[in-house]
Amino acid sequence: MPVQGRKVAVVGMGGVFPTCSGLQDFNDKLFSNQSLIREWDKAIAYQKQLRSVVSGYIAEDEMDLEVVTAPFAESYPETYIDKLGRIPDANLSTADLGSIWAMLGARDAVNMAGWSEGEVQSGQTGVVVGSGGSGNLILRVAWHHFFEEGRKSRIAGSHTVDRTMFYREAANISCFLKTKGVCEAIGSACATGLGNIGYAYRLIKFGVQDRVIAGGLEGTSLETFIGFDAMQVLSKGFSPGESSRPFDMNRNGFVCSFGCGIVALEEYEMAKARGAKILGVIDEYFNNSDGDGDMFYPSFEGQQRLWKGLMTDQGLRPDVVKVHGTSTPAGDAVELLSVVDALGEEGYHISAPKSQFGHMLGGAGAVEFITALLMLENQRVLPCLNSNTLNPEPEAFQKDTKWLGPDKPLAAYRDLLPLQSFSKEINRVACLNYGFGGTNSAISVSKDN
Amino acid sequence: MERQEIVDGLVDILKTVRTIDPEKLKHITEDTDLRADLNTPSTELINIAAKAEHKFGVEFDDDDIDDLGSKIKNVVDLVLKAKARQNE
Repeated sequence: MPVQGRKVAVVGMGGVFPTCSGLQDFNDKLFSNQSLIREWDKAIAYQKQLRSVVSGYIAEDEMDLEVVTAPFAESYPETYIDKLGRIPDANLSTADLGSIWAMLGARDAVNMAGWSEGEVQSGQTGVVVGSGGSGNLILRVAWHHFFEEGRKSRIAGSHTVDRTMFYREAANISCFLKTKGVCEAIGSACATGLGNIGYAYRLIKFGVQDRVIAGGLEGTSLETFIGFDAMQVLSKGFSPGESSRPFDMNRNGFVCSFGCGIVALEEYEMAKARGAKILGVIDEYFNNSDGDGDMFYPSFEGQQRLWKGLMTDQGLRPDVVKVHGTSTPAGDAVELLSVVDALGEEGYHISAPKSQFGHMLGGAGAVEFITALLMLENQRVLPCLNSNTLNPEPEAFQKDTKWLGPDKPLAAYRDLLPLQSFSKEINRVACLNYGFGGTNSAISVSKDN
Repeated sequence: MERQEIVDGLVDILKTVRTIDPEKLKHITEDTDLRADLNTPSTELINIAAKAEHKFGVEFDDDDIDDLGSKIKNVVDLVLKAKARQNE
């Protein structure tokens, strides 16, 4: 249970973002309304087998990493070389690409937090970081050699387990920073990033830990991309920068992207006492499930309950709602109407960061939480890029007699959805993320007053 | 195949293991101990064996790998044993 009076501050952030040299570059590109989505050369190489070839991807060399391939398998990334010497070789040997990003993000977040070595290497410092993990090159090559070529199991290498196990990113961060507290990963599909931050918030709020490094990521993976392409849910037919278009009437799918977001959380009074810069204060975290037995389709009722759980204190009304906003036909309409149902038709704005960098899957919630912190810092709302035309007609499900939500079509809410970034007083941002399986997560984060 | 040829090949393999200090590879003999002298992580030993199989065109017996010592000469012996079995 929560410990009375105990609050949670965000004191550091870091990550890896498509086309960006770092957090400042990410900030600058987002608030100047740029898209980080490109045509992906690795997808284009398989163009005849794929529907979509655009992504917010990050190549190894863009992160100053060099791939060392195994002599017995040309494409197998045996390990990586960090050309900037940020991560020791021993840590690189146990890491897949995403785990390296996680270590880099954690390093930046901890540096920003200003934690001492003693604080980092304490039993009161935990790591809670996860990814979606729908497959990667390491497993592809390992299984190919075993099953298709009949080679010995050792050909997969002795690091296949530690480089592919579910909580590999958290484990690698903990080994890299030598933390001694909780080390776990929460998995909830595309709500993973926010789910890990929410769980970390509870660890501090409940008095289990004083500091937690938390976040989520999705390492660049053609295997993951192929999985979603097979589901026919990826955006098709637009230029890269116009491919992710949450709420737009002509949206036809999401852009499968990759990235990493890590934040450093600390018990508020401890952070204040040491003079830390407070990037935000987490007001509340709530998560639930749709409970309707549907793996994929969003639930208006589930999202209604999510809002009620988040806003138990009606004073927590947000100035900006950072939506999940994937750019899929079904998801966006239900989400917008559930936001309107919870908050009414005015007095706030909606930001859809996926419109700028696509859907980072297991990283989405964490990277988008960082965009919420950036909105608090910049006092600017990030846009719903490409939401050019909103449906002037009610959605089909709104015509159903069982529908209990708002009756107006999406076009009635044009004023809530900015096409460009703009300045505004922002004291509180609500962050929403959902995932396959009907899981829903929400965090409210405020400016420190 | 001469023993020194195998030692040289093993040095080439060890150069690809980034957790081994390259300076320590300048004076490798058959008595060099992968664990004690080179601080090779135990998890890398099986990777070194797999690379040796590839480099020397042999396949080691699983039981032989289980019993493998950590000195260079142990690996040389293993390669020669596998070569001999190959030629039977």
